[in-house]
Amino acid sequence: MTSEVRQRRPVRREGVWLRATAEENAVFDPATGGLHLLNETARAIWELCDGATTTAEMVEAICSVTGLPRDVVTEDVERTLTEFERLGILRWEE
Amino acid sequence: MTERIRVLLADEQSLFREAVRAVLQSEADLDVIAEARDGVQAVAEAKRVQPDVAVLDANLPNCDGIRATKLITESLESCRVLVLGVDGDIRQMVEALEAGARGFLTKEIPLAELIEAARSLFRGETLIPPGMLGPLLAHLINRHREEEEARRRVSRLTKREREVLALLASGGDNDTIAQRLVISPETARTHVQNVLGKLGVHSRLEAAAFVLQTGMMADLVEANA
Repeated sequence: MTSEVRQRRPVRREGVWLRATAEENAVFDPATGGLHLLNETARAIWELCDGATTTAEMVEAICSVTGLPRDVVTEDVERTLTEFERLGILRWEE
Repeated sequence: MTERIRVLLADEQSLFREAVRAVLQSEADLDVIAEARDGVQAVAEAKRVQPDVAVLDANLPNCDGIRATKLITESLESCRVLVLGVDGDIRQMVEALEAGARGFLTKEIPLAELIEAARSLFRGETLIPPGMLGPLLAHLINRHREEEEARRRVSRLTKREREVLALLASGGDNDTIAQRLVISPETARTHVQNVLGKLGVHSRLEAAAFVLQTGMMADLVEANA
């Protein structure tokens, strides 16, 4: 991850909301009617997409909690954010 | 024959311990090898039997579960601690993980999940309750930002001002600071005013709280050594 990417701040697109139950987590996009299931880590990343948190901060925090190697966490975070972007539920603050 | 996971259980309530023990013992790969009713006993038993997994209530009497976790993980590197705490209590979860716990669950979970939790911890996984990972990460990120901001503010201080801040945070008044640094009380007072201004705080008490809350004391002492 380049330093430029690390300092980018993802932000949830307006109107998209999280539906969390004991059984599953999903984000619902009323604009498209899309319902996307998330695992616990993806949900946590989604919740951190507040326009203030950088991807570098996300990676750092996940590493400190899980003890996983930085390159593994970086890849996971990038993949998750790329998927959110592909689904049209995320935009980026520079 | 598969390796059995050796478990220590610590909870004040004997009924809870007995229920959990009965459930865990019914699993072929789990073996409850010791129990404790308070934190002191949990630490002693952990050192004695060296379990693979220790399940501790966060609110144990005589040394709470967080403190007991720290003592256990410091002396037994291979023991993975699971703390059972209060649902939604992010602060308690952070304290448990920072004390060395590898998992934090609430007592609201079904016993079947506790069985899986013991296995997960034994495999080296980290356990966080559903829905609490996001708030936990947000808490850690915010704290990291606060620490960075604190370091930024302290970096504005001169070496002498850092010495003054360390003494101030230890409860020293102008006379004490003057004596310790071999300067006049007036000079000490000037340093204190400069420290307050650079930190952006309004009183000595606020400056002391800033140092304690941001964990800067160790940095100040180290810088002054």
